[in-house]
Amino acid sequence: MSLSAATASSSSSRKRSYAPHKIAFYIGLVAVWQLVAMSGVWPSNIFPSPYEVGEDLVYGALDGSLLHGFATSMWRLAVGLSISIAGGIALGIIMARREAFNQTVGSLVLGLQSIPSIAWVPLGILWFGLTDAGIIFVIAIGAVFAVTINTYTGVKNIQPHYIEAARNMGATGGRLITDVLIPAAFPYMISGFKQGWAFAWRGVIGAELLFSYLGLGYMLYVGRSLNDISQIIAVMLVIMATGLAVDAVLFKKLELKVMSRWGLR
Amino acid sequence: MTTVAKLEARGITKYFEHESHRLQALGGVNLKVESGDFVCLVGPSGCGKSTFLRIVAGLEKPDGGQILFDGRPVTETGPTRIMVFQEGALFPWLTVRDNVEFGLKVSGVPREKRAEISERYLDMMQLTKFAGSYTHQLSTGMKQRVAIARALVMDPDVLLMDEPFAALDAQTRDLLLVETQLIWARTKKTIMFVTHNVAEAAVLGTKVAVFSNRPSVVKREIPNDFPRPRVPDDKELIDFQHEILRELRPEVRKEDDVGAAAGAAAEETTDAGAASAGKEDDADAGEKDKKKEGRTQ
Repeated sequence: MSLSAATASSSSSRKRSYAPHKIAFYIGLVAVWQLVAMSGVWPSNIFPSPYEVGEDLVYGALDGSLLHGFATSMWRLAVGLSISIAGGIALGIIMARREAFNQTVGSLVLGLQSIPSIAWVPLGILWFGLTDAGIIFVIAIGAVFAVTINTYTGVKNIQPHYIEAARNMGATGGRLITDVLIPAAFPYMISGFKQGWAFAWRGVIGAELLFSYLGLGYMLYVGRSLNDISQIIAVMLVIMATGLAVDAVLFKKLELKVMSRWGLR
Repeated sequence: MTTVAKLEARGITKYFEHESHRLQALGGVNLKVESGDFVCLVGPSGCGKSTFLRIVAGLEKPDGGQILFDGRPVTETGPTRIMVFQEGALFPWLTVRDNVEFGLKVSGVPREKRAEISERYLDMMQLTKFAGSYTHQLSTGMKQRVAIARALVMDPDVLLMDEPFAALDAQTRDLLLVETQLIWARTKKTIMFVTHNVAEAAVLGTKVAVFSNRPSVVKREIPNDFPRPRVPDDKELIDFQHEILRELRPEVRKEDDVGAAAGAAAEETTDAGAASAGKEDDADAGEKDKKKEGRTQ
């Protein structure tokens, strides 16, 4: 998938299919890689060939280590991201509805949002030890503010008439939140989830590297310790593929569904 | 006084901050609406009639005065007075049926009961075929039908309609004007209907309340007992329209004098997003405005 197809709509690829270009590009890339590896400029333990990386992928798949690493990382991510989505929606809604909260807590959120997930690792280790909880903490706190800010923007952009009509019909408090604010802000919130996912995915790999406690990130760490560059590349490929798959399958579908329901496309 | 009006406005005043100064939009509006009345509020653009309706709905607080509902003051919004917004304000994330059932759902009516009630009103508004559609798939006229159904489902004592047909094409509007009369006759609702269209007011109302220019008051209430159903080109109604226009014209002219002015601001704040309503240009609200305030009273 090209960069433009990943970011822009699929309409461009509908007009003209670039699939043959893509296939040729990747075949060419692997071929060049194989040629450079075979040329002997670098020893194969420094620059493994695609064949060796492929072998590692197959071994990893067969002995279950890749799947285990993948499952571990995904499980942590799911827990961490769920926490940040729940927390981010709550924070974002309160910020949008209570100006004093927005001016105080909201200003802090803006600041905290600029801290990369990985910078929370030392605190995570010291507060939670080298545990799942520590890694989940890093994921959750790294993603929560992106969800918060997008939810805030979404709620702020709700047509006032929607809220007025709902209040007029008797929707107050929790009902107003679940039946109006969240669905009305949902198109924005999806962007928040997407950003949150991206931060969380980067966060979980980074945290696992540093916590060195299972997961795909940990497999990178092991690869480095053993000078096993082909394992490192194999794991990186899995990380990349997962990232693409979640974006293309999960979020694209969710977005399309909401957009077509709202008549935005 | 022995009878209590369904709805009574007593001395409603409302100010708006416009740039650095205060504008008085409503200058003490008094209006009595009896049960079953169909009152049309007409007035120059920006006179605050929409604001007044929003105050009746409890969506805005007046700066002075009181709204009495069945003789008791009301300040909060609630399902006794349901608003039909100019642009419908339908929820795009819900189907037509779910939009219509919204008010019932939030007030805890069980699912089967909701379906039963919504079915009735979907049928009344000829929406049954579209029950599963999302609102963006509907024409503007259809959307307003949904908005009316959504309001009627709540079985409100008073239906408040804020220029609901302003964005419709002529044929659709004529059709809805007839249907609105039928609904009114059938449901016996009390209706307050804001419009800037004199023909609309003449066709619909049992009474037309003419608002003055800002600071607005109800300048005159004109009863209208022409037989129904009425259509906009009824010959007898033309005279009635002229009578309304005679009241209205000096008010509109005042507005022309001040260069359309800031009254639009008052109106504009109330219907954000309703850019299509033919509002006057909202510029140059300076001293001219103060001059006019002296004159209107």
